[in-house]
Amino acid sequence: MRELLRRYQFLLLVIVLVLATMILYSYNLRQKTTTTFFERAVLTFTSPFLKNIDNGVNSVTGAWGNYLWLVDAQQQNQSLKQENLELHFELQQAQEVLLQNGRLRKLLAFVDELDRPALPAQVIGEDASNWARTILIDKGAQAGLVNGSPVVVAQGVVGRIIKVAPNSARVLLVTDASSAIAALIQRTRTRGVVRGRGDDLSIEYALRDADIRIGDLLVTSGMGGVFPKGLALGLIETVEKDQFGLFQQIKAIPTVDFSHLEEVMVIVGEGD
Amino acid sequence: MRGFFLFLFTGVFFALLQSSVLPLFLSPNFRPNLILLLILYLGLSENLSRALIAGLLLGAIQDSFCGPSLGLYVSVYLIIILATRVLTEQLNIESPPLLLLLITGGTLLLNLLIGFYLTLFAESASVLHILLPAIPAQLFTNLCFAAILLFLLLRIQRFFGYRPGLAGLIHQSKQYGA
Repeated sequence: MRELLRRYQFLLLVIVLVLATMILYSYNLRQKTTTTFFERAVLTFTSPFLKNIDNGVNSVTGAWGNYLWLVDAQQQNQSLKQENLELHFELQQAQEVLLQNGRLRKLLAFVDELDRPALPAQVIGEDASNWARTILIDKGAQAGLVNGSPVVVAQGVVGRIIKVAPNSARVLLVTDASSAIAALIQRTRTRGVVRGRGDDLSIEYALRDADIRIGDLLVTSGMGGVFPKGLALGLIETVEKDQFGLFQQIKAIPTVDFSHLEEVMVIVGEGD
Repeated sequence: MRGFFLFLFTGVFFALLQSSVLPLFLSPNFRPNLILLLILYLGLSENLSRALIAGLLLGAIQDSFCGPSLGLYVSVYLIIILATRVLTEQLNIESPPLLLLLITGGTLLLNLLIGFYLTLFAESASVLHILLPAIPAQLFTNLCFAAILLFLLLRIQRFFGYRPGLAGLIHQSKQYGA
C-alpha cells in the first residue's frame, strides 16, 4: 500500500489539489453575498494604487487634452455653443415636464420609489478578465455600501454591488452573463428577465404574443427588491419569433455607455 | 525566495495594469491576460512546488480583481501549470516557437476551463456567448503582448544577467547576445 502511494504520489497530489480548488470555488459560489478575507485584503491593499493610477492617467490625459491637443478646439467651441443652445431649450422643456409631473404625482398620490438617498462614487478600475463585466468603485463599507446595493447613472442602471471592501466595492454590470434583472417594456408593460451578454442584453421569458417593437424602452420592474421601479435598462434592438416556442427572442442595447463610465450613484437607502 | 516574491509582485502589477490602465485603451476582447503569460512562464521555468504555490496565489489575486467568486482562477491556473509541466517534460523547451504554441494552448485551455467551470458550477452558460467569439482576439492579443514582454525581458537580462534554466529564453538570449 505504502509502495503504491509512493509510486502515485504526484498523481494523488494533483488530484487532491484540483479537487480542493474545485471545492473552494464551489463553496465560495454558495457564499456569494460575503467577501472573503483574502479578497478584502487584496482590494484594501490595491485600492490606493488604483486611485493613484487613475489620478495619474487623468492628469496626463487632461494635460494632453487641455494644453497640447488643441487642433480642433475652434470647431469644437462652435459646435458646443450650438449644443448649449439646444440643451438650454430642452432644459426649459424638461422643467415644464417636471412641474407637470409633480402636479400629477400629487393628484395620483404616486409614490416615487426613486426618492432614495444615493452616494456618488468614482470608477477606479475594471475587470481583469475579458469575459466578466465588473467595475471597481472608490467607495466601500466605510461609506455605508452593502452587497446588493443598486448602482445607477443618469442614463439608467449600471449594476449592483457584489463585493465590498472598506474603501472600495465591485459592481456587477447589467451586461455580465451572470446578471439577471426583472424588467418590463415601458410602452406595453410586458414583463421579462434581462440578462447580460457582454456588450448587449437579452430579454428572456417575454411571451410570444406580447407586442414588443424595435426601439421600445426597457425599464426595471421593481420585482426582486434590488432595483427601484422604472429605471432605464436598454432599447430593443431586435425581435425574433421562432416558428415554435412560447417566448420571443429579443436583444437590447444598454442605455448606459459602459466604455465611458466615470462617476456613478450608489443607492444606499430605502424608499421614503 | 526573492524570485518567488518577484513573481507575486509582478502578478499584482499585471492585475493592476489589466484593471486600471489597459481598459482605457483596449476593448475587453483585445485586453491581454498578462497573468496567464506569467503562469505559463512559471510552469516552464520554476520547480513544481514553487510554481504551484505561486500559481495558486496568482489565481487568488486574479479572482480578487475579477467578478467571479474566489477559486475559479485558482483552480484554472493550477490545471494550466500542471498541463504546462507535463508538456515541458515531453518537448524541447528551448525552442522559441514552443513558447508561442504554449501561449496559444494556454489561452485555449483557459477559455475552455472557464467555460466549463461557469457552466457546471455557476450555471452561467450564457457566458459562452461572450467567451467563444472573443477567443481569436484574445489569442492574437496574448501573442502580441507575449512577444513584447519577451523582447523587453531579453533586453533587461543584459543588465541583470540571465538566470540559468529560464525556459525558452536561453536560446534567444544567445541570439540577442546576452
